[in-house]
Amino acid sequence: MADLRSARAWTQADVAQRVGVSRQTINAIETGKFDPSLPVAFRLARLFELRIDEIFIDEQ
Amino acid sequence: MDAPQDAVSYRAETRATGGLVAWTLAWTATLALARFGPGFWGDLHPVVTWAAVVANLVVGVGWIVAFTRFLRALDDLQRKIVQDALAIALGAGWVVGFGYVVADAAGLVPVEVEVAALPALMGVVFLAAFVIGKIRYR
Repeated sequence: MADLRSARAWTQADVAQRVGVSRQTINAIETGKFDPSLPVAFRLARLFELRIDEIFIDEQ
Repeated sequence: MDAPQDAVSYRAETRATGGLVAWTLAWTATLALARFGPGFWGDLHPVVTWAAVVANLVVGVGWIVAFTRFLRALDDLQRKIVQDALAIALGAGWVVGFGYVVADAAGLVPVEVEVAALPALMGVVFLAAFVIGKIRYR
């Protein structure tokens, strides 16, 4: 997700504001410390105009 | 046109936080009144003391409702941090509380501990766990 963000020259704060979460949440998602809820995942997918599975990888 | 998601979330979180602060102040004030009020109006008015205690309990219920609303208004990560801290505080309260009961029953505790020490301990543990959670997900 960090790559998607960088490609659009957005900061973590920009993404957080557009999605309606804290910057800390975006940072935790990008560093793999935290998995977003489904509503947040959908909002991120709409923001980046991608499918959820194109942004997040199931590591199991 | 719908408001941007960030504006909706921010307003909801701000409103819930303000509500929690207000109810916390009210609960603290009624607690102080119930605790120190009898020193002013004395034992001549036990009904007043009872009223102060009941008022504190009623406001306490309002605080609980405000806290649950605050929790629901937080974003995913912030809610996880608070819930993790609450779980640790509850666990510490149970373990230390029942540990004290058992030790006291066995005659191992030489000093009498005020009952208020338990909620105070849980509050301190919650704060510590919350700060650690914020640092962990920094």
